Amino acid sequence: MGSTLAIARKETRLYLTTWTSYVLFGFFILITAFFFQRLVIEFQLQALDYAQSQQGWAAEHMNLTDWVLGPVFSNMSVFFLIMLPMLTMRLLAEERRQKTLELLMTTPVRPVQIVLGKYLAALLIMGIMLGLTVIFPILLAVFGGSGTEGASPVDWHTVGSSYLGLFLMGAAIVAIGLLTSAATESQIVAVVTGFAVLLMFWVIGLAARGQEGFWGGFLEYLSLTTHLENFVRGIIKLSDVVYYLSLAGVGLFLTHGVVDAQRWR
Amino acid sequence: MIETHGLTKTYRDLVAVNDVSFTVNKGEIVGFLGPNGAGKTTTMKILTGFLPPSSGTAKIAGYDVFEEPMQVKRRIGYLPENPPVYPDLTVREYLQFVGRLKELSGKKLADNIAAVVEKVELGAVLDRLIRNISKGYQQRTGLAQALLGSPEVLILDEPTVGMDPGQIVKVRNIIKSLAGDHTIILSTHILQEVTATCERVIIINNGRVVADDSLEALVSRHGQTGAAATLEQVFLSLTEV
Repeated sequence: MGSTLAIARKETRLYLTTWTSYVLFGFFILITAFFFQRLVIEFQLQALDYAQSQQGWAAEHMNLTDWVLGPVFSNMSVFFLIMLPMLTMRLLAEERRQKTLELLMTTPVRPVQIVLGKYLAALLIMGIMLGLTVIFPILLAVFGGSGTEGASPVDWHTVGSSYLGLFLMGAAIVAIGLLTSAATESQIVAVVTGFAVLLMFWVIGLAARGQEGFWGGFLEYLSLTTHLENFVRGIIKLSDVVYYLSLAGVGLFLTHGVVDAQRWR
Repeated sequence: MIETHGLTKTYRDLVAVNDVSFTVNKGEIVGFLGPNGAGKTTTMKILTGFLPPSSGTAKIAGYDVFEEPMQVKRRIGYLPENPPVYPDLTVREYLQFVGRLKELSGKKLADNIAAVVEKVELGAVLDRLIRNISKGYQQRTGLAQALLGSPEVLILDEPTVGMDPGQIVKVRNIIKSLAGDHTIILSTHILQEVTATCERVIIINNGRVVADDSLEALVSRHGQTGAAATLEQVFLSLTEV
């Protein structure tokens, strides 16, 4: 446990003192802000349109959570696919390149502690990155006026389940990123492989659309992003949670295998 | 303390280490000598458990490095060829990190760091980033790391590489001062290093042990009639192809 935390601590220290993480944080906020702003404007135009066309009743059914935050969260999941491999590419590849893996492997540290320590640090940074975006629901809660009967314009239950879903998805992506970083000493190779694997998990979802029967269901089950849909609608389903956790588990298990294989070469 | 038996390591069709057997007793300093590519580093990596041997066994303090790696790793300090440092950490952070990996904590960790910092004279650079200190200091940081937790066995792969003459003399003195409490195996291709620090020499060439004896014995055995040979002459005569 001590060694796991020592490794997590060192990685966190490196994350927070090198510029890469801050560039990723900034970029993530910026691109999310861009979509957020577009969706808010669209929401206003749509509401205005309904009002002018004597369809005020339709405007009453519009709410900021489903019309603005939902799409923002779905977009964030795509940015995650692109940005998280950049966060994880360094973790093990750099240890190999700098020959510091030799240090880790010759001190009384088990491979499982190396893998978990690195994973914890990356989870923390991913959590911070995600946490920064809480600014958007807060903005809507403060400036979004009030919904029907003075209720908050933001449904915090749905926001909460969306963040849970995004965190779980992030946890799975980080595990896959860690795996691709374990297999090489080049960060570039790590990040490109990471993209390739994640792209596959993403495209599977698109391929599953319109497919019927067992294979359609199977492909859809494998897809990274379809499992987020329920969370964004405020529904926490055990099967979705299990999916993300098992993907993370498989990623970590394979990473451990790759690191441990060092002893057998 | 260190015991290898028939150690062999092959990479595909290249035989890096071929049937290497030797014993190092407790408290000894042994120089591990050989030309570049002779198999010194590979042997050392096997001793630390970083690489598995293709065949043969290695034992440290009675523990097989492959069967009981954790027991072995608790008892060794290892300085690889390139100091295994993180450029973006300060020397202090780095030593704290390695100390924690070596299962030190609290006051014990602080005392240990203070002791090795004094020993290898790192005080001046303690709070500087490793990327900004000279190669010699980086090498000393690597040595400090190996000494943390005062392990019984020290495995040092070319410990003075990249240092200036003044630092080299200091590091040799440090290594000498460690004898007795620690068992040390030190690889080098700098012959003076061996003359200056070691009592015993193992010379390895093309993956095979070609000599294993005390320094005096080697020098007198290979001497011409009347005059003792220098280690250089011994080395050259043994490593000729």
